[in-house]
Amino acid sequence: METAIPALLNAMTLISILMLVGLGLAITYGLMGIINMSHGDFITIGAFSLAMVQGFGGSFWLALAIAPLIGVVLGFCIEKSIIQFLYKRPLATIMATWGLSLILQQSLQLIFGAAPQKVTSPIAATVEIFGASYPAYRLLLIAMAVAIMAAVHLFIRKTSFGLDLRTVIQNPEMADALGIDTKRVFALAFAIGTGLAAIAGVLLAPMTAVIAQMGTNYLARSFFVVIVGGAGSVPGVVAGAGFVGGAETFLNYIIPATMSQALVLVLAIILVRFRPNGLVSR
Amino acid sequence: MAQLPKTLERYWLVAGIAALVAIYAAPLFIGVYSASLFRDAMLFGLMALGLDFLWGKTGVLSFGHATFFGTGAYGAAIISTQWGLDPAFGAWAGLVGGIILASAIALIVGYFLIYGGVRGSYFTIVTLALGVIAKFVVLGASDVTGGDAGLLGIPPLQFPTPSGLQALPEIGQYWFVISVVCFMVFAIWWACSGRYGILLKSIEDNERRAQALGYNTAAHLLAVFVGSAAIAALGGALYASSVGVVATDSIDLTLSTQAIIFVAIGGRGTLLGPVLAAVVVIWLEQKISSFDAQLWPLFMGGLFILAVFVFPDGVLKGLERLVTKVKGTAQ
Repeated sequence: METAIPALLNAMTLISILMLVGLGLAITYGLMGIINMSHGDFITIGAFSLAMVQGFGGSFWLALAIAPLIGVVLGFCIEKSIIQFLYKRPLATIMATWGLSLILQQSLQLIFGAAPQKVTSPIAATVEIFGASYPAYRLLLIAMAVAIMAAVHLFIRKTSFGLDLRTVIQNPEMADALGIDTKRVFALAFAIGTGLAAIAGVLLAPMTAVIAQMGTNYLARSFFVVIVGGAGSVPGVVAGAGFVGGAETFLNYIIPATMSQALVLVLAIILVRFRPNGLVSR
Repeated sequence: MAQLPKTLERYWLVAGIAALVAIYAAPLFIGVYSASLFRDAMLFGLMALGLDFLWGKTGVLSFGHATFFGTGAYGAAIISTQWGLDPAFGAWAGLVGGIILASAIALIVGYFLIYGGVRGSYFTIVTLALGVIAKFVVLGASDVTGGDAGLLGIPPLQFPTPSGLQALPEIGQYWFVISVVCFMVFAIWWACSGRYGILLKSIEDNERRAQALGYNTAAHLLAVFVGSAAIAALGGALYASSVGVVATDSIDLTLSTQAIIFVAIGGRGTLLGPVLAAVVVIWLEQKISSFDAQLWPLFMGGLFILAVFVFPDGVLKGLERLVTKVKGTAQ
């Protein structure tokens, strides 16, 4: 029991992180079909926003409010300047966003330096759960992840913008004919995806080294969270994160961490081959 | 007017032969050290050629081609340094073994994906994961691969000489590598110049229609994928034996994306273009990095965006279009 509880909590922490990093991509890639290779860098931008806000004496919660704004504004500008011209050219989108990723990473490194940024977690305490002590921040992270997932799910399902978005994705021409500004919907949806990535960055920053290249670690995994789970739905992200995070935590107890990450990707590729629509198909 | 294309063709032939002579004679003028840099760049060009065979001829983009270059390099390094073979034999065994290993991986992964109907951007993401997996495996199996430190002391290829089997001097190695690269470019060009090239093009344009015409498109795509992996692995294995060192940067995601930029800038499907682009881009990288190493990734990122918007079919085609446009407005 003493080892089972932390193991379970570790798995839930990793799953929460993967849900957060995959959520934005579930909208941009899963719903809109845009392969945004710079998705990981918006996670980095979120983490750097936290470092900056705290550097100026602001609180963690202030950063949690500012980071998504930065992510949304930057994402909106990028959609308007690059992505919107490439909706018919998926491979070109991959290349352009990869180029963007290189530029974002290197700019962050040039501005802030190569050393890890200093960030502090809002709660340093540990709590006792069934006899095992566990960092309270991780429990907060899990709770935040669940709350954000629920909020996004309701946003897509219940608001008029969510309805517009689903209409535009199903049939852009018809949506246009119905008077929906499809260009605006696409741009906003992309910006929401990057904003969510920035929120993920703030939340996971206290648990990792905040460096300019940190986003790359999450890139392949967030794509597989979305693909494995099933394109573009919040339940899909939960399923995908559950599969990737659960398998990785389990394997970490048996084999070295690098090997378990490799093996999880292999498993994910095999799973996708046999269930191309993901675990939760629409 | 009918005479013009023929004369033009003759000019190209003359220019080509002149360029070839210049490349072979280059070490005599630019020195052996610069020539060895050029040789290494040509080997990265071989990886670009492999990718162009796949991406340029069938439209399937691999985001993990360094996996095959790196497998070739690591395969060659491990077989020649750790199996206790005689270096004269081990270097060749490593070259062959590395290529076979990479081809086998491509065959398994390719069969699994291509026959499973994975195409387009989906394929690209899975190959991206393939590159990440390869890096993790190299880092994880550090007792075999040397981990972050890499592997040292890979023996050079040995050739029969009047005084027995011997490694070639630098200039001989250079000529050998150049000959292999030129041969591969010519071989792929020749293979794709006839019906086969048209068949691959038809698969790129409309795979279902090609299928309806009775072609086993999955088998053709798989063959091209394995072939392109083998070419990249040949580049990697030759790189390992020429440089003598292999490290994780020869299997890294960064290298995979460089291969894409070589092909995009050189002109997708032109085969020779990506090889030349590899040489030019690597030369640029060294010039810019010697000025300030931090600037290169910014340039690389800019190149990607330029490649998409300004010259979608390579720099030369882009310039050609620009020139005709300028001429058009002048007239």
